[in-house]
Amino acid sequence: MAFARFFCISSLSGLALPALAQQPTDTLRRQQLGEVVVTATRTERSISEVPIPVTVVGVKQIKAMGAVRLNDVLGEQTGLSIVADHGRGVQMQGLNPEYTLILVDGEPLIGRTAGTLELSRVAVGNIQRVEIVKGPASAMWGSEALAGVVNIITQKPQDGTSGTLRLRYGSNRTADVSASVNTQGERLGLTAFVNRYSSAGYTLRPESGTASVPPFANYTAQSRLTYKLGERTRLSVSGRYFTESQASTYPVAAGTGTASVRYESRQQDYSFNPVLTHGTANGRLFATARFYLAGYRTRENYTYAADGAPYDNTYFNQTFLRPEVQLDWRLGSKHTLTGGAGYINEGVEATRYDAVQHMQSYYGFVQDDWTPLPGLNIVAGARYDGHNQYPGQLSPKASARYQVRPWLAVRGSAGRGYRAPDFRQLYLNFSNPVVGYSVFGTQEVRARLAALAAAGQLVPDPATGLPLINNALLDRASSLRPESSVAYNAGLQLDPTDKLSLTASYFRNTLRDLIETTPLAQKTNGQSVFTYYNVSQAYTQGVEAEAGYQLRPGLRLSGGYQFLLAKDQAVEARLATGDVYRRDPTTLITERVKAADYGGLFNRSKHSGNVKLFYESPAKGLTASLRGIYRGRYGFQDLNGNAILDTDAEYVRGYTLWNVAASKTWQQRYTLQVGVDNALGYTDPAYISTLPGRLLYASVELRLSKK
Amino acid sequence: MKTTSTFALLALAIGFSSCSDDKDETAVAPALQATTVNNLAAGVTTANGGGGQPTSATKYTFFSFANNAQVATADSNTTKWDVGFRGTTIIINGGNSGPGQGGALVQSGLFADIATAPETGFKVDAASGKAITTGSGMGWYNYDGATNIVTPIAGKVILVRTATGKYAKVEIVSYYQNAPATPTATSVSRYYSFRYVYQPDGSRNLK
Repeated sequence: MAFARFFCISSLSGLALPALAQQPTDTLRRQQLGEVVVTATRTERSISEVPIPVTVVGVKQIKAMGAVRLNDVLGEQTGLSIVADHGRGVQMQGLNPEYTLILVDGEPLIGRTAGTLELSRVAVGNIQRVEIVKGPASAMWGSEALAGVVNIITQKPQDGTSGTLRLRYGSNRTADVSASVNTQGERLGLTAFVNRYSSAGYTLRPESGTASVPPFANYTAQSRLTYKLGERTRLSVSGRYFTESQASTYPVAAGTGTASVRYESRQQDYSFNPVLTHGTANGRLFATARFYLAGYRTRENYTYAADGAPYDNTYFNQTFLRPEVQLDWRLGSKHTLTGGAGYINEGVEATRYDAVQHMQSYYGFVQDDWTPLPGLNIVAGARYDGHNQYPGQLSPKASARYQVRPWLAVRGSAGRGYRAPDFRQLYLNFSNPVVGYSVFGTQEVRARLAALAAAGQLVPDPATGLPLINNALLDRASSLRPESSVAYNAGLQLDPTDKLSLTASYFRNTLRDLIETTPLAQKTNGQSVFTYYNVSQAYTQGVEAEAGYQLRPGLRLSGGYQFLLAKDQAVEARLATGDVYRRDPTTLITERVKAADYGGLFNRSKHSGNVKLFYESPAKGLTASLRGIYRGRYGFQDLNGNAILDTDAEYVRGYTLWNVAASKTWQQRYTLQVGVDNALGYTDPAYISTLPGRLLYASVELRLSKK
Repeated sequence: MKTTSTFALLALAIGFSSCSDDKDETAVAPALQATTVNNLAAGVTTANGGGGQPTSATKYTFFSFANNAQVATADSNTTKWDVGFRGTTIIINGGNSGPGQGGALVQSGLFADIATAPETGFKVDAASGKAITTGSGMGWYNYDGATNIVTPIAGKVILVRTATGKYAKVEIVSYYQNAPATPTATSVSRYYSFRYVYQPDGSRNLK
């Protein structure tokens, strides 16, 4: 329920620079030029050459703006919005958080609530870089990579031995303490990271009787051990553990008044990930075997504050197990072939599921990375996912990049993405104890309907006396398919001078078989029985542009902008036939809605963007940044009885957040940083619970190292 | 508790009726007028069944279109009432709900545009379901499970055959006391505001 933690966004732009840009003018830029990315092709590639646009946010940028959690980092990137729905997730190309795959070192983070993976579960103190790939990546990464992929690359052991200790304290009694150690010897390497993050939370609307963000504390421990088994054979074993506790009270209706209910929650996740790699002596073959085991658990306990009597209790346990192999084969000088296969076993056990449920899937993928001519790169691949609960999915993708002139490159890609039905859509068994309706997952609904019918709880057909069940809908529910998309992307990359870089791209995602709930039988209490089925189609399309300009050595100005349209095609069809109405909430007069008034899907900003100024002086040990993040107005909720976005009152006002940070380092050992997020203190208590207002913070960092 | 007001059905309706050349005739057959009913309490009791619904023990609130008035619970087995409200459930005086000739159907369109009651399509209340289908998105309202707000669907007009076989059209505009522009969790539910046009002459003409 309540949002955990803060929304203090900050980071630096990670503009992708082209291969042929001239002399780097500062260290930040040099770092980007040499950047190697893995998410686009599942092989290490220079960011400047991959045909798929990748945004990289490096450790330097992450540190320079004082980010502590992943949502801080993603919230400042062009084309990404942090949206709140059972936690804070990332909206990419106008698609909800459930359509973006979140990876840590190439392995998926699990534990989504209503589709949202809470980004603040990820501490950024041990991150080397974050790679963001927009557009479907199911051809390589499978389900959920429909809008794109965020891959968090954690630090690998570096030569020598070093350690850091960092303390940060800020508004709302927010404390972040972390320590890390790193060592790399002849054969053995080790990194370890521990973090404690806590806050007293905040309350935007005292009259609601509950905190916007209740107090919480969480702990993260992450470690990686690497061992050189042979000259070209390496073993890496990493593990992660995270736990968070949160407590609050809130009012619930009781009789004619309200009662206070105390809420206590605990969530944990863990993972274990050994990876074995081997390359052949001639460098042509490279093999990777990976094993990944992850778990996510939540416990929520509700009791009446007055007497401690139980009010509600829920739990959710999820496990994910995946062995995978991958082979990369350099064929001549022009081709790199990549192939792989894997098996996934997922399990869930929860309050609202009948029993422990297991899903199995297997998959295989192939890709050819082909350079037919200098300056031309084509990457084409496909992946097949077979599943024991729904039809198999074939996801092809092709992309190309061509360096037309030293200062101009063009890119394009087309591909298919998909998102598998989740546990809820397959296995949910929920009857609302208060209102009385029921929702069943598609694997459950037949048996549950039979049980309700046997208990005489379904309304019968007067003609036959049999329960009145919409069998057409029941058949559709039973043959539930994954949601899928077909997407296109085309863009330009311009470098007119060595100081100026520009990128622009057009994207379109056409979504099919979106899963929604539908009533299919009537209960004798007057309420409905719901299940899930594939019904709607929607699209998102837009333009994204970024520009960077080197004002002076060490001083860089950048900006980003996204224009977005996202619409439900069923609503567009109804508008075309004049079948959508609205009732003025004040005059209560009803009128027909014109197609032009349709504002598209809720919670999407047509306009969003950012402006960033970054200063760095390695000689003086100084960094400073000023970032302005704009989110244009977006639909919040229907107010006039037609369930669509069509009047000004249904929008949340647009806003800009200004974040500043500065740091000074002495002797390459001590760093002091101060910053203000949301410096103008913008809040919108009625509509945006994730904006706490102005946040001040200061941090000190101590670095120790020996070669 | 209940206030009613009457006004001429928009300038539109008056405009049509004034097409007649004969001023006397205009006076004899005036255009049908829309009646607005505000804050008709439907199952408001101290017992709260939760989720915006009353407990099952709560009685229906009966209403007569001809008299523009609430009808006593004691008259439930007569044809004095046309529709009954309890929570979001609306019954008509017919089928298994009452002794009358009542029936209903829900039609999409603008209240003002609907000129006649259709010849076919009227349903009566039965064990298999009400003439006005219950449930979110099925009949006249949407229920938002996240906010617990009941919103009458814009453009849904209920055509009613009354207990005595006359016709009326009804548009429900609010489910909350004093029809707040933006109902919230603290708004008091089960107070119907609606407008209706009742045709006393027994014809299907509703304009």
